[in-house]
Amino acid sequence: MTRHVAIVGAGPSGCFLAQALLKARPDLAVDLIDRLPVPYGLVRYGVAADHQGTKAIARQFARLFERQGARFHGNVEIGRDVPLAALREAYDAVVLASGLSGDRTPDLAGLPLAGVHGAGALTRALYDHPDAGPLPDLGAHPLILGNGNVALDILRLLAKTPDELDGSDLGPRATRWLADSGIETITIVGRSPAAQARFDPVMVRELGALQGVSITVEAAPPGADDAGEKVLAALAQIDGTATGPRRIAFRFGLTPTGVVGEGGRIVALTVTRPDGVAETLPCTALVTAIGFRGDGTLPTDEGPGLYKAGWFARGPRGTIPENRADAQALALRILADLDADPDAPAKPGAAVLDRCRDRVDYDGWSRIDAAELAAAPANRCRQKLDTRAAMLALACRTEETQP
Amino acid sequence: MKLAILYGTETGNAEMLAEDLQSALEADHEVSVANLSDIAPEDLDGDTFYLVVCSTYGDGELPASAQPFGAALDAGDPDLSHVHFAIFGLGDSAYPDTFNGGSAVLAAALAQRGATMIGDRVTHDASGPDLAEDLALPWAEAVIAEAATRLGAAA
Repeated sequence: MTRHVAIVGAGPSGCFLAQALLKARPDLAVDLIDRLPVPYGLVRYGVAADHQGTKAIARQFARLFERQGARFHGNVEIGRDVPLAALREAYDAVVLASGLSGDRTPDLAGLPLAGVHGAGALTRALYDHPDAGPLPDLGAHPLILGNGNVALDILRLLAKTPDELDGSDLGPRATRWLADSGIETITIVGRSPAAQARFDPVMVRELGALQGVSITVEAAPPGADDAGEKVLAALAQIDGTATGPRRIAFRFGLTPTGVVGEGGRIVALTVTRPDGVAETLPCTALVTAIGFRGDGTLPTDEGPGLYKAGWFARGPRGTIPENRADAQALALRILADLDADPDAPAKPGAAVLDRCRDRVDYDGWSRIDAAELAAAPANRCRQKLDTRAAMLALACRTEETQP
Repeated sequence: MKLAILYGTETGNAEMLAEDLQSALEADHEVSVANLSDIAPEDLDGDTFYLVVCSTYGDGELPASAQPFGAALDAGDPDLSHVHFAIFGLGDSAYPDTFNGGSAVLAAALAQRGATMIGDRVTHDASGPDLAEDLALPWAEAVIAEAATRLGAAA
């Protein structure tokens, strides 16, 4: 009897889970369901456009579908197109791996104001996510609030000269937007001291290779653990980088207290310094990169045959490989639960998805993938389709022409 | 001469390459694959030629699955003068300071305990135009041919 596993969310955690399940038990029927017509989630829309080496894990995920027998069901939103209860009825196990797509917003006096943007929303707009809003005007002096790698990714993208984006998959709209941004200074502000910043040191050092920037790093107070020492050493290494006019300033230990608006638009962030003194940081826009949260559409508690994976399970911390290790552990737990119930009634599996219109299978995604690679201009490795309509026109073409 | 592919991986890319190499080589050779996390230095024997595939993670460090093996080399300081290996590295030139640091660390650690490295350490760049297997398969064939003459009777 074939056992059926549905994974909701075809991002890295869902794909690593499917990989581990099928490696252990090639006879399983594993279905990866995504609300987008395209798979790979964060790898496609979150990993920075200029970090193509990181995106190379998508090759592993392609094998999942091409050799390991996993099936992709894109453009299917659980809750909207198929109730979660119906999915659980149809599968031996359902895993929620839908990530955390919402931006955590700071609780600051004076919000909401125009000119304040979540890093997730900005990242989706930069990387041609079909549900993203337009790219905002950040003005000449954007301020980034946050001390993690998401903040560094935004900083680096905003700081790069057009030539430094060669080889990326940044789309034409974002490319024009960056080239015309008129950004003069970027200030990156952390609440904690520099030694506690959650920056990956190699990503800090990456900034030292930028071609058009002048970097200053606020002096850090002494005292740090080993991880902190590595961050401090990386920051010290890039401090004083002077290759061009765009000024980047790292500030630390500043507790945000409020925002100042004029005419409904942000003009400054107010903070308290470690010595207790208040300071006003003028800015033309504020990008908040202080974490992510769920959108509330799926339950957050596990139940019989219902599991959680990835950021949806662990919260917005942890790198892709950490989530791979989690996925491998979860696969063992699911397999043990399946084995503990060998006489469970047979389940229909993917037949429950048959009612979904314009469902995209792996062949459909392969047509999108091929078209995007073929459309890449000379200095790009891919040009993404950026609307659901364009994706579905390609992906569902075969189905439409069938008699 | 038996072949054993040993991989050190963090995101799974080195594991995938190790499996690809096994598929490509098993028609002509007896070849096993193991994760370095399941291998201790004293498991290595003199009758086997080891093809090591190792990525890089963090600050040019060994990937997670190779770290226990690396720590065992450091802690036990075993004599590996009977061991022959070749090594293929995976890295990302987006991080030039630490590019392919993992395979360099592992090669040096093995050599320091007397193991003999066959051929040069060949590296793949995830940000470059080549697919890893397109570099690794010719590497494997070349080092296997050289090892066959060095270790004696070919399989």
